[in-house]
Amino acid sequence: MMTKTWDLLEKQQPVVMRMLKNMLQRDRIAHAYLFEGMKGTGKRETAIVFSKAIFCENLQDGYKPCEACVSCKRIDNRNNPDLHIIEPDGASIKIDQIRYLQQEFSKKAVESEHKVYIVVDADKMTVNAANSLLKFLEEPDGDTIAILITEQIQKILPTILSRCQLISFQPLPKDEIIQQLIEMGISPDDAPLFAHLTNNIDEAYALKDDEWLLQARKLVLKLNEIMDYRQFMDTLLYIQTDWLPHFKTREEVDKGLDMLLYMYRDILAVQLNHEDRIVYPHQLETWKRKALHLTPVQLAQKISAILEAKKRLNANVNSALLMEQLAVKLQEG
Amino acid sequence: MRFFIQKERLIKSVQDVIKAVAVRTTIPILIGIKIDADENGVSLTGSDSDISIRSFIPKEENDEEIVEIVETGSIVLQARFFSEVVKKLPESIVEIRLEDQFKTVISSGNAEFVIHGLDPEEYPRLPQVEGDTHFSIRSDLLKTLIKQTVFAVSTSETRPILTGVHWTIQNQELLAVATDSHRLAQKKVLLEPASSGLEKDIVIPGKSLNELIKVIDESDETIEIVITDNQILFKAENLLFYSRLLEGKYPETSRLIPTNWETSVTLDAKDFLQAVDRASLLAREGKNNVIKFSIEEDGIVKISSYTPEIGTVEEKVRGQIKGDEIKISFSAKYMIDALRAIDGTEVTIYFTGPLRPFIIKTDHDESILQLLLPVRTY
Repeated sequence: MMTKTWDLLEKQQPVVMRMLKNMLQRDRIAHAYLFEGMKGTGKRETAIVFSKAIFCENLQDGYKPCEACVSCKRIDNRNNPDLHIIEPDGASIKIDQIRYLQQEFSKKAVESEHKVYIVVDADKMTVNAANSLLKFLEEPDGDTIAILITEQIQKILPTILSRCQLISFQPLPKDEIIQQLIEMGISPDDAPLFAHLTNNIDEAYALKDDEWLLQARKLVLKLNEIMDYRQFMDTLLYIQTDWLPHFKTREEVDKGLDMLLYMYRDILAVQLNHEDRIVYPHQLETWKRKALHLTPVQLAQKISAILEAKKRLNANVNSALLMEQLAVKLQEG
Repeated sequence: MRFFIQKERLIKSVQDVIKAVAVRTTIPILIGIKIDADENGVSLTGSDSDISIRSFIPKEENDEEIVEIVETGSIVLQARFFSEVVKKLPESIVEIRLEDQFKTVISSGNAEFVIHGLDPEEYPRLPQVEGDTHFSIRSDLLKTLIKQTVFAVSTSETRPILTGVHWTIQNQELLAVATDSHRLAQKKVLLEPASSGLEKDIVIPGKSLNELIKVIDESDETIEIVITDNQILFKAENLLFYSRLLEGKYPETSRLIPTNWETSVTLDAKDFLQAVDRASLLAREGKNNVIKFSIEEDGIVKISSYTPEIGTVEEKVRGQIKGDEIKISFSAKYMIDALRAIDGTEVTIYFTGPLRPFIIKTDHDESILQLLLPVRTY
């Protein structure tokens, strides 16, 4: 797990960090927070740094954790007995995990006055888990601080939402990330795609060495080619022989779908004369050609087919069936 | 850190503290036993964050040297390996030596183990012993106190506070109450005069108290109890037992206990217990283990149970009855638990009505009281 210091995060999320700083300095910490924002905006790192600030023995200027005391170090190693981090076990956060929290929080803190729990991907709580978490968001005993983290705020139960202080993490504007990536030496052809796949500059920069991703991009563009010039049977064959062996896990399939989605968005952008905003600049000519063949309605249908597929992926649909069905819709519909 | 220690003492201490070491834990450091060596001796600590046990091995005991400290220091070693290793060492003296990077050498005779330890700084810190609230209690009294109350704690997590035993210390008296909202057990203990100024109100997890009974050594005469904000510490001669306290306010229980009664029945405890036990044989098959208790004629109490598919049981027990006739039903299991806890030759049950809670007491011991809620069957 990457850990970032307060200063680094302050550069990324100036508004959020200023809010947290004020709360710490004025000692007005709420009992529940919901950190909301897109992937790569530093929510988790902020949650960790914020808990460090709560436990730190040697707080700098009343808000900044020292990163050197025993408490800070123990948080890095997950050995602080009063900080609990709950993460999805598989696809969801199960009721047993919340029950563990409940048991933990029926007791007093082990050594400090505070107890902090961080629920990562809180939207992945099952309904039962969410309802049982609600119970102690409603009646916090003692000095308990909850930090819920989510990328999909619309999936959080309204009853939970209303009990948390909402902190929104704004993604850096894409243009800016692309610009910075190019300055860091990423080729202008690659930068837009990397910037779209994550909101975090460091992560985006690291993608340049990601063999899997580069291969994936090739496969996505190849799929497009086959769908354009070949029989439908060939597409199915291609999915079986090339696509499926490469996109194995659910996250990989999801990324593949995203990359497919960017392609159609590019074509739409070309149709709308936003050629400067496309994700695959080196394909501009192809997109221009395709833009002539497709009506905006057809494009919108294809895009919604991909979004539908993404949704179904989260519902555990078999990825081979999912891709085949999607190919039918993209090629023939 | 470097010290030499008698193997037998080390094994015993490891066995004591390993009871507290977490089997499954989300806090990685807790799989270890912490070893601290200072000028006075060596202490071992095991913890699952709910309970922590610390065993102290003094440098000398009865003029016999047990530990020789060469250099002080601390280390955390994986509990499972450490205990296995120590048990199988060949000689009666063990040397434990810390090298750099938390590497620890355990040697005895010709055998030498090098074990990778963990950073002792990462280990949870136990509260400081110098609490302002402390008092002593005889260890057998403490054991009785726990046994007579802890069985009544709730096992359901829906109301976590009820999974603990409520201790109120006031006016030189310790009142322990446990309830799962169907029954209640209460025991009062008089404390030593030194604790007259003390006032405390805490809830101790039932699980911790059950562990504590197992750990208290018969040989310890008195146990010192220290209460801090988050934890309670039971201090025997060379053993410290820490437990986290429960959070929240315990419900007010004193008003649940009826002060007047309409019917009282005094019974021979053993006969009654056996009769209830027999009646419960059939009741157990039924839904909730319910038996009926009714006053027949002069001095006769009928205990019966009826389960449609199986059959009926009826037994008459002699007793001294004062007041009105009564017919009441209750859980046989709870009654058996209560009678076992009271542990007297004669018990008296005070009823105030067929749907009101009733209390069970004994004349020999005013300090204990058991309360049961009846079950509505008529």
